[in-house]
Amino acid sequence: MNATACYFENSMAQESTEIARGLRRRDPDLLDRLIEQYQHRLLRYLMYLTGRRELAEDLFQETWIRVLERGHQFNDKYSFSTWLFAVARNLAIDHMRRKQPASLDGLLNDGEAAFDVPATGQPTAFDMTLQREQNEQISAGMEHLPAEYREALVLRFQEGMSLDEIATVANVPLGTVKSRIYRGLSALEPWLKGSPL
Amino acid sequence: MSRSNDAHDRARQLIVLAGPEALSQADQTWLTTHVETCASCRAFTENARETIHALRGIPIAAERSLVSTTKMTVRRRALELQRQRERLWMVSISCIAVTLFAALTTAAMWRGFGWLGERTQLASSVWQVAFLVFCLMPALVVGMFLLARETQLSDHTGGYSG
Repeated sequence: MNATACYFENSMAQESTEIARGLRRRDPDLLDRLIEQYQHRLLRYLMYLTGRRELAEDLFQETWIRVLERGHQFNDKYSFSTWLFAVARNLAIDHMRRKQPASLDGLLNDGEAAFDVPATGQPTAFDMTLQREQNEQISAGMEHLPAEYREALVLRFQEGMSLDEIATVANVPLGTVKSRIYRGLSALEPWLKGSPL
Repeated sequence: MSRSNDAHDRARQLIVLAGPEALSQADQTWLTTHVETCASCRAFTENARETIHALRGIPIAAERSLVSTTKMTVRRRALELQRQRERLWMVSISCIAVTLFAALTTAAMWRGFGWLGERTQLASSVWQVAFLVFCLMPALVVGMFLLARETQLSDHTGGYSG
């Protein structure tokens, strides 16, 4: 078990080193590969952060340009995804500051149609329908959460990041991350049951 | 009563944060024992599990067009940056070459002017001033040319009051 964990740790460290080397060279093939690899995860994170697909898509492009320009700043001691999400987050905050001086709270949009969850295909069974309903309810619930709670939930449960990694991305203490996850998840529960407060 | 509430709060926080790196062995053991004996925390565990499951099930995908546009934009920017770097490299090389050349020729010219001054029996201050004028001549000529051009341009546009 330990040998397997050690193997994975080593291969991740090696991957980070290779990425750092490629980013310093501004290797376009490496960037293509990274864009492919992180496309869905990055867009999902930005969508939850901003609450708007168009803005998320703009920031998606800006993030990769920033990765190209500032690639030499990537420290291979951290995982690439942690750095990538931190870059995306800073861009989102910069965007909001340009619009109005605000914190991440400003990303919570008022009454705009958000989280346009694409159809998951024709439901052929009861559990498919149920799953879709749950997804819609949770999406609606997420829309009503403060942006920092959404961010913590997405990073934890969709990206599977550790609490330390989330603290690095969000640039907040570990305790804050824990409380955001706890409060965010607690706030979502009523939505799952279909009886939001 | 308060102690019992504290236990529930602690249990719920641990349930929500549960993950391989988040809970110590002691916390894990305590939580398992607590949940076995507490119906409300068991229900909370079930709800949290469902919420997390639903959260993981939300499908958000990047469209192919977005990905391909991004790749193109990034490649274009990479090319721009490469060209910028090449230009900067050329300018740096030119500056170094000019500096080296200027250092070498200035020393040679200084000796040349000294030798000429000696041959023509000029006072050293005279050939030194001549050397200074000679060195500054290109800059003076270019400056005068630019000044003349500027004057000419302002003469042409002088009547315009926009």
